[in-house]
Formats: sequence, structure tokens, C-alpha cells
Amino acid sequence: MPGIWVYIEQVGNDIAAISRELLGKGRVLADSTGQQLGALVLAGQAGSLAERAFAFGADVACVVEDAALAQYTTDGYVAAVAALIKEHQPDMLLMGASFQMRDFGSALAAELGVGVAVDATDVKIEGGVISAVRPSHGGNVINTLNFADARPAIIVVRKQSFAEAAEQPGRSGAVVTGAMPATTIRTAVESVAPKTGAVNLTDASIIVTGGRGLGSPENYQKLIPPLAEAFGGAYGASRAVVDAGWVPYEHQVGQTGKTVSPKLYVACGVSGAIQHLAGMRTSRNIVAINKDPDAPIFRVATYGVVGDVNDVLPLLTEEMKQRTGR
Amino acid sequence: MHIVVCMKQVPRDNSVKITPDLGIDAEGIEKIINLFDEYAIEEGLVWNGKHGGKLTIVSLGESAWVEQQRRALAMGATDALLLSDPAFANLDVLGAARAITAAINKLGDVDLVFTGRNSTDDESGAFAPSLARLLGWSQLTYVGKVLDVDPAGKTIRAERHLETDIETVTAQLPAVVSVIKDINQPRYPSLLKIKKVAKVNPPVWGAADLGLGVSDLAPVVSLSTRVPPPPRPSGEMVEGADAAEKVKKLVVKLLENQVI
Repeated sequence: MPGIWVYIEQVGNDIAAISRELLGKGRVLADSTGQQLGALVLAGQAGSLAERAFAFGADVACVVEDAALAQYTTDGYVAAVAALIKEHQPDMLLMGASFQMRDFGSALAAELGVGVAVDATDVKIEGGVISAVRPSHGGNVINTLNFADARPAIIVVRKQSFAEAAEQPGRSGAVVTGAMPATTIRTAVESVAPKTGAVNLTDASIIVTGGRGLGSPENYQKLIPPLAEAFGGAYGASRAVVDAGWVPYEHQVGQTGKTVSPKLYVACGVSGAIQHLAGMRTSRNIVAINKDPDAPIFRVATYGVVGDVNDVLPLLTEEMKQRTGR
Repeated sequence: MHIVVCMKQVPRDNSVKITPDLGIDAEGIEKIINLFDEYAIEEGLVWNGKHGGKLTIVSLGESAWVEQQRRALAMGATDALLLSDPAFANLDVLGAARAITAAINKLGDVDLVFTGRNSTDDESGAFAPSLARLLGWSQLTYVGKVLDVDPAGKTIRAERHLETDIETVTAQLPAVVSVIKDINQPRYPSLLKIKKVAKVNPPVWGAADLGLGVSDLAPVVSLSTRVPPPPRPSGEMVEGADAAEKVKKLVVKLLENQVI
């Protein structure tokens, strides 16, 4: 049986991007240690998820299909996977760091008495030692955690940490089915409703953020969403403006908001308090626009523009609209 | 009913240093209640106000953490309990959850635990699920609204706020609930209340009081390296006579470097 397992997340009828990333990384780890790569599929109806996992590098799919698994519950998922793990004894289980999987990975680790690393950005196996790299303290500290001998090592991986596996159409593998063990599920999910005006900032490749330098909520609304639209991105906010009630919490980037790592982060009138930097410092490119040339945000900026947001932002919106036709 | 809030002390910001033995040096940074735990305290106070009984603040940390516990008492918590022992110095999440599980079991009559979704220093969010599992209780994580707590029917109904969805769930009590930031507006303790609790010294329980030995607290993950992040490549200031010129130059740079 495979030593390295990847939990397969479902989007529509296909496997999620994060699962393709983890299959890519899992394949490398499996090859370097001479192990097989397993895909862990839990679903009400598994459809073609196992086949899709084979196409992206899995050798074996462990599939548990049960009506109780159609909706995520901690009790149901922990029971199903704990039983599979006891039977097959994998060394490692990788999953993506969504809220549900943070809930699941941590609970499963405690259930089994094994270690868990949440929000990992890298995974290694060297000389039989499994380790995970995870940032803490708002990205100011990068920790490498070694797992003790208890197996499996459970690693909940931050999105966009690895390259996605390339698809190999026609690649096949073996399916192993598992049974849903008898268990009491103590939570009843009544409804799952999309958030109104939901923004998945974590998934956005361009984010335009407004801070206190905008001066007023009216100014924020006038300047930030249109600029985000011109860039084809989402809009975020600093804690100061969220706490002042200008924008819902949903949009907050930083230590007590969201941690984002887009291709482009445009910080407008954001001074760059350490709590804000914690949420965006790993962005690939950062544009900072601020009238104070000494603002700390300029220290992390790829491109800095010293100027009044009231002058710069409408011009930037116009320029982007012309360039992109949006 | 008896509600416990698990509360951690953290530095106000994360401009911390790494010590030679891979510890964290937060000296000179103000210490505060972990922000998410402050929301947990407020939520505990709300339901304690409705159903009465005790609201106990439980922390695992150094004696200095009593300062934050007193603040929670001033907000309205009825009791506080500090778990402190040299044996707790290097616990991983599982070890910390084991110690707090032992404390909650020793308290005996706890119905509900609130805590923050994560601490703002370690940021893993693994504590609440670990605690729930070790206690053998149900868990509700990332809760943005508690709709009802029914001690007689032994249920809690709440909204879990996920990335793009809101999940409405009913769980059986006892339960562990982790809360997010916009669940409520934490109250400020009055000066009078702060004065009143200034000399309160909560009981302190150590490993022996909890019946925990070395093997119970042995870590399953340990630090091998701890370093600051690589510095960001140095950036450039976009110069120009006026805003219009700077904007034009900026957009050209973004296009040339295939950022957009």
C-alpha cells in the first residue's frame, strides 16, 4: 500500500487545484523514497475522482463512498480516515489548508496521537525524517518541524506552495475501497449557503487594498473597488478601516484577517504596520502608493509611488482601463 | 452551565527575535490577550449572562499571564485557572491540548469551551480541534455566529464562516467552539472592575495536579530550525514630475515585467 497519501478535494466533478499541487509534490516524495502515491477520496459519490487522481500521478486510490461523507463533518471524516489509516498505515497524509481541512487534519492528528503541521509551505523526507516548513508570527519566523516516529505525519499545506502535477491522460491505477465505519456524527449541518458578496481574497491573483490614508469610507468606495476592477482583481482593506466600519471584515488582510500571496498586491494609503505586512509580505509583487515617503510599506514594495491617493488612484484606474479595455 | 474560555497571551505585534536556542524573544513588545480569544471571552460572557453558572478562563503559560487573566475577570469572567509548570515549557499543540484536557476533566462539570480560531503568534489553529478530540466532545471551528445554546436540550446551534460559504450547524454539548473576529464586539472592562480584580491570584495547577507524566507531554513534532524569512528583493521608487507621469511609468513597468 502507498506510503504517501494525498487527500483529494473535489470541485464540481473534478479534483481541486490544491490536490493537483499535492499530487505533484507527493509524486516527487514517493519517487525519492521508493514508495507509492495514494489518493484519498471521501465522497457521497466518488464519480471519476479516482481516475482524475491517477491522471495527475496517483498509483492507488483509497475510496470511501458513503452518504455520510457527502457533507464534511469532523466526526464522519475522522472516523472514515482513522479506520483506513489503521488498516494501511501510511507514513504521510497531505491535505490543502482550507478551513475544513484545518479542522479535519488537526482533529485526525489528535485522534491518532500523531503530529500535525498546519499551513505548511514545504515538505521534506530526508534520511527517513519527515519535516515540514511552516511560517509563524506573521511570517517573521520560518519554522522547520521534525515529526517524531508516530505515523502518519499529517501536513496541511498552504495553497500555491507547489507546482501542479501535469496531466497524463490515460494513466491508470488501482482502486482500493474502504468501508464507512459505524460512528455517531454529533453535528448536523442544516444548510450551506454562499456568503453574500463573498470575496475569496486568498484565491485572487491581484488584490488592491485601501488603508486609512483614503481618509473616509466614501473615498474608499470611490477609489478602491473601481481600481480593483480595472486590474481585474479583488479588493482588500487594512484592519484600521475594517474596524472603523468602512468595509466588512471579509476584506481584511493581515494578522487578524486573511493571509494572501497574490501575483500583485497594490497597497493604497496603507502605512504598512507589521500586522498588515504579516498578511501580504509573501505577495510576488507589491505596489505601494502613499504620500508619506517614510511609510514602512515602501520597505517591502517592489514599486513605490509617493503621492496622494486622491491624485494617483483615479489616474491609475483610467490608465489601466485604457490598457486593458476593462 | 459552566463555560470555559481557553485564552492565550501573545505579543501585540510579531516583531519578535529568534533566540540561539530557537526560542522566541518578544521582550519590549506589549503583551495582550490573543485577539481571537478576546472574542471568545465576549461570547462566553454573552451565554453566561443568559444561562448563569460559571465562566472560567483557562490558560497554559507563565505566571506573568495572570495579568491577562485579570483583564478577562474584569470583563466579567467568574473564575480563572492557570496551568503552569516547568514541564510545560516546550509543549507542542498535542501536549498543550492534553494538559488542558486534563484540567477540564478535573473541573468536571464543563459544558462548553470557547477559544479563538488561532493565536496570532503560532497561528496554527490546531488547538481547538485537538482539544475537542482529546475530550471526546463535538467541535465547531471558525464560528462567526452562535445562534443558540440550549443547556437543557444539550445542543449548540451556530454558523461556521468558511472561505465562501456559511455552514449552519447544530452540535451536541459538550462542545469546543473556536470563534473568528467578527462574531461580536468585546466589551471594555471598567476601571472599577479592573481595580477590583487587581490582586486576584487564580489557582495554579501543575503537571502533578493534572496527573500528567513525561510520556503524556512528549512532543510528536519538534523544531529543527527556526530562521527569519528571506529578505524581499529590494524594490524601486517610481519617480516623475507629477502623479500622471508616475502612473504612466508604473503601468509600463508592470507590463514590461509581466506583472499584469
